[in-house]
Amino acid sequence: MVVLREGMCPGLDEDVVRDLLEDLVASDTEELAQKCSVSYKALLAIRRVLLAQHTAFPVSGLDLYEELVSSTAILSTSIPSLDKLLDSGLYTGEITELSGAPGTGKSQVCFATATHTAHRLKQSVIYIDTTGGLSATRLLQMLQVQTDETGEQTEALQRIRVFRVFDIFSLLDCLHGLRCGGLQQASLGGGSVKAVILDSVSAIISPTLGGKQNEGMSLMMQVAGTLKTIAKDFNVAVLVTNHMTRGPGGEPQAGLGLSWSHVPRTRLLLERSDGAGPLLGSKRTATLVKSSRRPCHIKAEFDFNRGSRPEEGLLGGVRVRDGSDP
Amino acid sequence: MKPLSAAPLSPSVKVKLLRAGFDWEEELRGLEPLELSREGGLSLEEALEVQQILTRGVEQPGGGGLTALELLQQEERSIVTFCSQLDALLGGGVPLGRTSEVCGTPGVGKTQLCLQLCVDVQIPECFGGLGGHAVFVDTEGSLVVQRVVDLAQAAVHHCSLQDHDPEQQEAMKTFTMETILEHLHLMRCHDYVELLAQVHLLPDFLVRHSKVRLLVIDSLAFPFRRHFEDLSVRTRLLNGLAQQLLQIASQHSVAVVWTNQMTTQLVPVLGETPGHRAARGLLVPALGETWGHWATQRLLLHWEGPHRLASVFKSPNNMESSVSYSITQQGFRDASSSLSESKQPSSSLSESKQPSSSLSESKQPSSSLSESKQPSSSLSESKRPRMQEGQ
Amino acid sequence: MTETGAQLFARLDARRCLTDIEAHLFPEDCGPRHGEVVELHGLEGTGKTELLYHLLCRCVLPVEAGGMGVEVVFVDSDYSLDMLRLVTILENRLAAGLSTGRPEAGSSGVCPEEAALRSCLSRLLVVHCGSSSQLLLTLHYLDTSLSSRPGLSLLLIDSISAFYWLDRCGGGESVARQEDKLTKDYRITVFATSHAIRRNYKNVASSSSSSSSSSSSPYSEYEQPYLCRPWQRLVTHRLLCSRGMAGANMASATCADKHSKKQSFNVRCTSSSSSSRGTKAHKSSSFYVTDGGVVFV
Repeated sequence: MVVLREGMCPGLDEDVVRDLLEDLVASDTEELAQKCSVSYKALLAIRRVLLAQHTAFPVSGLDLYEELVSSTAILSTSIPSLDKLLDSGLYTGEITELSGAPGTGKSQVCFATATHTAHRLKQSVIYIDTTGGLSATRLLQMLQVQTDETGEQTEALQRIRVFRVFDIFSLLDCLHGLRCGGLQQASLGGGSVKAVILDSVSAIISPTLGGKQNEGMSLMMQVAGTLKTIAKDFNVAVLVTNHMTRGPGGEPQAGLGLSWSHVPRTRLLLERSDGAGPLLGSKRTATLVKSSRRPCHIKAEFDFNRGSRPEEGLLGGVRVRDGSDP
Repeated sequence: MKPLSAAPLSPSVKVKLLRAGFDWEEELRGLEPLELSREGGLSLEEALEVQQILTRGVEQPGGGGLTALELLQQEERSIVTFCSQLDALLGGGVPLGRTSEVCGTPGVGKTQLCLQLCVDVQIPECFGGLGGHAVFVDTEGSLVVQRVVDLAQAAVHHCSLQDHDPEQQEAMKTFTMETILEHLHLMRCHDYVELLAQVHLLPDFLVRHSKVRLLVIDSLAFPFRRHFEDLSVRTRLLNGLAQQLLQIASQHSVAVVWTNQMTTQLVPVLGETPGHRAARGLLVPALGETWGHWATQRLLLHWEGPHRLASVFKSPNNMESSVSYSITQQGFRDASSSLSESKQPSSSLSESKQPSSSLSESKQPSSSLSESKQPSSSLSESKRPRMQEGQ
Repeated sequence: MTETGAQLFARLDARRCLTDIEAHLFPEDCGPRHGEVVELHGLEGTGKTELLYHLLCRCVLPVEAGGMGVEVVFVDSDYSLDMLRLVTILENRLAAGLSTGRPEAGSSGVCPEEAALRSCLSRLLVVHCGSSSQLLLTLHYLDTSLSSRPGLSLLLIDSISAFYWLDRCGGGESVARQEDKLTKDYRITVFATSHAIRRNYKNVASSSSSSSSSSSSPYSEYEQPYLCRPWQRLVTHRLLCSRGMAGANMASATCADKHSKKQSFNVRCTSSSSSSRGTKAHKSSSFYVTDGGVVFV
């Protein structure tokens, strides 16, 4: 809703200022002209100016495509089998979601992507940590696997900007800050921001859901909307993590309900390869659950080698098994 | 321009403002409270509150964040457990600024580990410790002060063997059993309402007691495992609680440790004859699968035959694996063969870790595993006063 | 803003009727006419967006490539338009339709395919909306562009339910009533997607009993519309999308290579357009998705 105020455009004076813009636009101009004793033509002009000020601008599909072709980048997750599932990596301008039970390696994939982007691609990364799970030590560990140069490691770490937020309003504040200049600022340190990682989105949203749902749902959709806007407008890849729930038949499902399920463009489900329960092991299975590029429900297996000794681990301590389609 | 719908205002106020046509926070900034209440259809109190909340938001902007390098430099030290294998597994101990969950069946040593941490966090800095204080939130009434005294004396003794330079000798004068007890703040919560209230007040408490480096909640699961007809309410309360704990951990650089109970989950067994649905029970941490996301790292204490094992099964920077440990009179220690052997037959000592199946608590699933973590209450009540309130 | 009756007639007449937009989807003689609204409704991952791309491609493709060569406005309130995917589909169809013999369209310079693609894309107008009031105002604003471009005959909105929760919280009504005016005045066909975001548990029990067709049970759980009444009155066709059972009866017939078992999707159309003599007509169809977009079974 937009309130009409005096002086918003020439000709709009007190008489007309009664209502919301929506009502003005929707109402019959002729009737209104009689009611406010303003000329029909003047009202029409006002209407047109106001509309032009407040509507979205139509873009030709051709322009959009050309812009997209010149600006889209694909960020590798540094895990080849996952990249294969994702059709070579995370696309900028999109939201990709990783969902899975606790300890299935969601954060590890985030770390791997962050370090890879910061070190190999020399681009900046925004990492929004909502669970306190980000471990700079682990990031360093992954970088040490990739390079021996302390200078390079330091540089890469400097390219990763970390925000720690613990409630939804600070998250919205933070995202809003990013949208209004924070992203450009963060790019100053060399390399533009190419990835925004939100780990985890469910941790911050789930406490607001339930009970009086409307408020929580509205906030959730705002987070979703802001993330999408950031992804599109700044052309960055957004990677979020989500928890996993079980459907009525016990089948794994991404959390946060139906409304959220429409938000990410691509969704991966991570599971332990070795069955249910807190068993030890580093093998993980990733299943593509939603994608607009690849057929769904293909699987790949990968292996976290968390000890990440350089001679064993390949690329950031994540050792890769062959991706296998079912 | 910041959308008003994202502002931390109460829903009813927000609806009124949106209905009145305010879309952006900036539109409210310039208005006097009186104007705002007239235009937005709010009461004057509401208008004043709105303005307060919004100005607070301006004064405390989210900041530019940190780079990972700065974070690395800040990355906190850890509290040692006195079990060197477990310390190695955890990368030096229980990290400050993070949350850790300890799960396990009754009697496996969750409380022992917590108490050990409460003592260890106080080891003076010149001995490589943190010299901090601890807060112990007790929901089960399972804290036995005599046990803390045992652990404290053992820790003091351990340090006194190593005081070589004058600084350390100086520090030893203030590191005694009495000071350890003095710096352990106890809070007893009887139900989940008290627990939520207590956690709500903790940030203020931590500001006043800035030396606190460890917050233990033993156990977090207990008050939430009953009195809930509507599970969604429980989930919501738990999620809110977890969010607050994360915030406490990060903002006050406190290690937050909570314990969780185990529950039995039925898992269908594959490969059975069709039509016959078989299931086997699997012990999993209580409070549901979603709860598992909250703790930064999760430690599972369990029995493997006669040995106690500690497994890390969720951690951002450590390998998932298991080590064995033991609980001695001195506290939580490495499992050495001599210790574990001496542990078995001893029945003369009135130690809490002793196996005594007769004491097995009602919640224990199987008496074979049972080992009460408390001495028999009838015996101990007279000579071991329990500390009820810590504040 | 004055025009003669002859001009008006010429303008409205020039607008292409989209009754034959997709014979597979709609019951016989019940394709969407001028000014009718089609709602695509379904869960996440049930092919709504793919179907929308399919219709979009069909409209913007030149006649010689099996399209209709008309202009389309895509109102994107969800940031869901995936240009790359759309272009892939277009390229595939162009290659199939024009069959110029060139294997790849990616070569430098302006090859015929590139030019064809460009002309297709130039028939597409995309509008991004960030809030429900912006969506509303944009729809009003489209008046101007609609009257000035007779080639425009399809308005796609993805998705109409994007701001549902925001509006619910703000206490506002949904905006859907506004399209009424648009469609009446400009005789344009509207396709809108709405997400299934509310679960309706009541129907679950009843649906499980009717197991005659495998596709009926997944629908009913989410079938209940939740958008406001004016919108429901406006919609003349509802397409319910759901995920089909993986390769039951159609897989053998369509998938030549058994190796890649295609996920199939079902659509059930309920249309109550003015032409169908007041009765409701139903049609079910299913399709699967390939690189080149939707292929109907």
